[in-house]
Amino acid sequence: MNIRLARVDDMMGMQAANLQNLPENYVMKFWIYHAMTWPQISYVAEDHKGRIVGYVLAKIEERNENENEPQPVHGHVNSISVLRSYRRLGLAKKLMILSQQAMKEIYKAEYVSLHVRKSNKAAIGLYRDTLGFEVAKVEKKYYGDGEDALSMRLELKDI
Amino acid sequence: MSKALPVPAKRHLPSKEATLFKELLTLYETRQLKKGLKTADQILKKFPEHGETICMKGLLLTHMGRREEGIDFVKKGVKLDLTSHIVWHVFGLIQKGEKNYEEALKSYTQALRFDKENLNILRDAAQLQTQLRLFDALVETRHTLLKIRPSLRQHWIALAVAYHLNGNLSEARKTLEHYERTLKNVADYDIEHSETLLYHVRILEEMEDYSEALSLLDVNSKSRAIVDRTAIMECRARLLSKLKSDEAEHAWRALIEHNPDCYDYYRGYFSNQGLSLENSSQEALDILRQFSSQLSKATAPRRLALTIATGDEFRDLAKSYLLSGLTKGIPSLFVDVKSLYTNASKRDVIEELAEAARVEFTPSSDTPPSSAEDTDPTIYLWTLYFLAQHHSYLGRPKKALETITIALEHTPTLPEVHTCKARILKRAGDLLGAAKSVNDARLLDGQDRFLNTKCAKYLLRAGCVEEASNMLGLFTKKDAVSPGADLEDMQSLLYLMEEADAHYRNGKPNLALKKYHAVQKVFNEIEDDQYDFHGYNLRKFTLNIYMKLVKWEDQLRSHPAHVKAALSASRIYIKIHDDPSIATAITSSPQLTGAEKKAKKKAKKAAQKVQEEPKKGPTPSANEDKGLEPVQPKDDDPEGLKLIGVSDPLEQAFKLLQPLTTLVTDNIDVWTVVYDVAIRRKKYLQALQALNHARALNVEHPEVHVRSMHFRQTIDTLPEEPPAPIGPLLKEVAQKVVPEGLSILTFNGQYLQRHISEPLAVLAAAKVAHGLKEPVQEVEQVVFGVLGEGTQLDIPTALKVLEFLTEIKSGRVEEFRSVCNKQFEISTVFKPLTELEALQKRTLSGEEEEKEEDISPA
Repeated sequence: MNIRLARVDDMMGMQAANLQNLPENYVMKFWIYHAMTWPQISYVAEDHKGRIVGYVLAKIEERNENENEPQPVHGHVNSISVLRSYRRLGLAKKLMILSQQAMKEIYKAEYVSLHVRKSNKAAIGLYRDTLGFEVAKVEKKYYGDGEDALSMRLELKDI
Repeated sequence: MSKALPVPAKRHLPSKEATLFKELLTLYETRQLKKGLKTADQILKKFPEHGETICMKGLLLTHMGRREEGIDFVKKGVKLDLTSHIVWHVFGLIQKGEKNYEEALKSYTQALRFDKENLNILRDAAQLQTQLRLFDALVETRHTLLKIRPSLRQHWIALAVAYHLNGNLSEARKTLEHYERTLKNVADYDIEHSETLLYHVRILEEMEDYSEALSLLDVNSKSRAIVDRTAIMECRARLLSKLKSDEAEHAWRALIEHNPDCYDYYRGYFSNQGLSLENSSQEALDILRQFSSQLSKATAPRRLALTIATGDEFRDLAKSYLLSGLTKGIPSLFVDVKSLYTNASKRDVIEELAEAARVEFTPSSDTPPSSAEDTDPTIYLWTLYFLAQHHSYLGRPKKALETITIALEHTPTLPEVHTCKARILKRAGDLLGAAKSVNDARLLDGQDRFLNTKCAKYLLRAGCVEEASNMLGLFTKKDAVSPGADLEDMQSLLYLMEEADAHYRNGKPNLALKKYHAVQKVFNEIEDDQYDFHGYNLRKFTLNIYMKLVKWEDQLRSHPAHVKAALSASRIYIKIHDDPSIATAITSSPQLTGAEKKAKKKAKKAAQKVQEEPKKGPTPSANEDKGLEPVQPKDDDPEGLKLIGVSDPLEQAFKLLQPLTTLVTDNIDVWTVVYDVAIRRKKYLQALQALNHARALNVEHPEVHVRSMHFRQTIDTLPEEPPAPIGPLLKEVAQKVVPEGLSILTFNGQYLQRHISEPLAVLAAAKVAHGLKEPVQEVEQVVFGVLGEGTQLDIPTALKVLEFLTEIKSGRVEEFRSVCNKQFEISTVFKPLTELEALQKRTLSGEEEEKEEDISPA
């Protein structure tokens, strides 16, 4: 499968893949907003016919001095998904690594964060064991259906 | 009008009210709506005809949700002070909120007549001009903005972009060069500057000034002004290739090493070397072998090698590729290699290898399962899984089913095996069996939305609309009116199209139309989405991607879902034009099934609930800003009765087809439907143009043949020839379509002979014969030719034939149906309707029982 930077004409396919796989969905304007704001850090996997079979949708959180815990510039994975029929190819891992490299290089992101369902063993395994993420905290009832989320974080200076 | 005119008497306010008016503007800007209203009323007490205040009052009321009132006030205010820039600005804002961009721009242009240098109005006007693709005007507006405030970086960039959009690359470039010269105090790390430079490079590349582009790129990447290393590398490689530089090879190699899974990089590399990745070439193969060993984690070079290699080399490479995939248990292995099957010998080699693997990995019967000698059972399973897909793809459903059945006995707990069986059954025409299999898969992992979506899709294919909706409801928002409503809100084209098609097949064209129009609505939303970005991207300096956005939006309606929806809806409109009784049957007595009535009641209740809820909550503050966009009107036609009962169906179809005629000109289906609509509207020139387009694409195509003959027949039988130049032109083409001296019937007979073994062409010839009023038995005779020896009749074509026989009220419908039922052993789609309905009941009730045991997701 072809893995490359997400383009504007990938957005329909990314939205479709997201709707197929995950209950957290977004209208097209949300996808456009990400592409227009941070065009260098979202990646897709496509099959030979050009259909989107996997994607990572990422953003950058600007440095924020105002809060109680001031946070440096960091990346955040808003959504990542690979169609079930294209699993076991290491696509998710490759998508994440490419995205992280771009976050670090272009935005000087110090770390990347994401949320994952507490019960999603497979995803947690990927983030923690394969990619080196650590659990930063638990966010209770984060998801629309009430499930808890693990907020995970990967320091980018190490990659 | 360059001199500032004295303020007209009706606009002038004494100092007290003038101050109030200034306050009023500020209150509006800060959205203090209630206070603003009070202030406005204060002014109006003394000056009830002050147009500008009346307009502002109208604007505030609109924001407060009192839209009709508000708009009345605005209109009144405009009339009272036609030369005030404020009233026109306000009017423009209202129209913009209604997405009436053309009218809004007119208002803004008026406003600018009376306040030429108003930055706000100019910026809004620029956005409107971009949205409307009026690039000449846009350039002028951006020029004006730059002249007024040359110190603002954005104004320079905006002008360059405007020139670029208007096709004037050299002015765009000059603007950027000028801008860069005037830049002061650029920080070391400035991502906006980085993006601007990349944009500049892009413009030079588009102008084909490759060496300048390269030097600009190199200078600024050395100085680290450009921070996006990947973009630099990609751009460099492209430019070096275009300049035929020796450095290009290294540049492409560096890209491949950076991301070994990107096929574009390999294509760039090989293209640069003058080698093709399609044809066999020893040199290319050697390079790929090098890459494969150097980049061990990457599949791309190994897969590319399979495309290029031949003979024994192919066999060796295919064997290791296959075994590697089977060992890892990769579900997509088959879809990955199936594109190689266009080469018959490669297809056969792969079948050999897969069968050999199957034999090798079959667990031997006399070894107990726990023995260490036992080959890994999962390789065996994945081999069976591969072979089942292989046989199904090659049109051997029985063999495929046998294979997958063994796999299921071996490992009933792997969802993939069940979905594979489902696909086999679907292709073989057993849609209910297929749905049941997908459901079996789904039950193995209730938390997986992918399986849920697939299951719903298969239910829709089988025509079980309500069941599909309940299925989808397991993952849609609980507070939505219905699962379908949530999916429509989230713009799920898959759902909308599949349900539309299902309704159509179920004989509910009104409901189908509703969903096809919902698809249109999604595309209208996406087209509108770009509006805010005409300003936003300029503020962010993300210019390259912005240009891509504009181009993408220009092409938006060529998206396959949009095309399909437009064509399907148009076909319905054509049907109800040809036979108005279809529509009246539906509108006069909407016949809902028991389940549909229940669903309708449920939806009505839910909708009432949603309406009542706001009343129960705390009274909304009068200061609540509802914005300028009108509230979505309630759906007043949930069953699509108004849509199906429309009095001008052909005009509706014409509207839907318009964008396709410019955006999708290489699609035969588009032209045939455009023809069908045009000829019925008696727009002969349009019909002619459509026919010509279609014939240019493929004159022998069955659908084109039907229209060609129809055209000739229509022109021959016109009551009177249309006036020149149309009349003679039509005659001219009619002669081309069927040459002088030949009757249409004879010509059609010749066409039939030419394509006697192609079922769709045979059907086309039959349709033509029927159109020429040939006796029904003769037409049937032609049609039954599709069952002949040597013709490759498939299920979709057989269904089309059945549809045609039904339409012409043939007496041999049941005969054809039963032949097909026998021929397509596994299928259920040819069973008589009553038998099918009973089967559906049985299958679904089986599913119902299983559903109760289902662990529903949280």
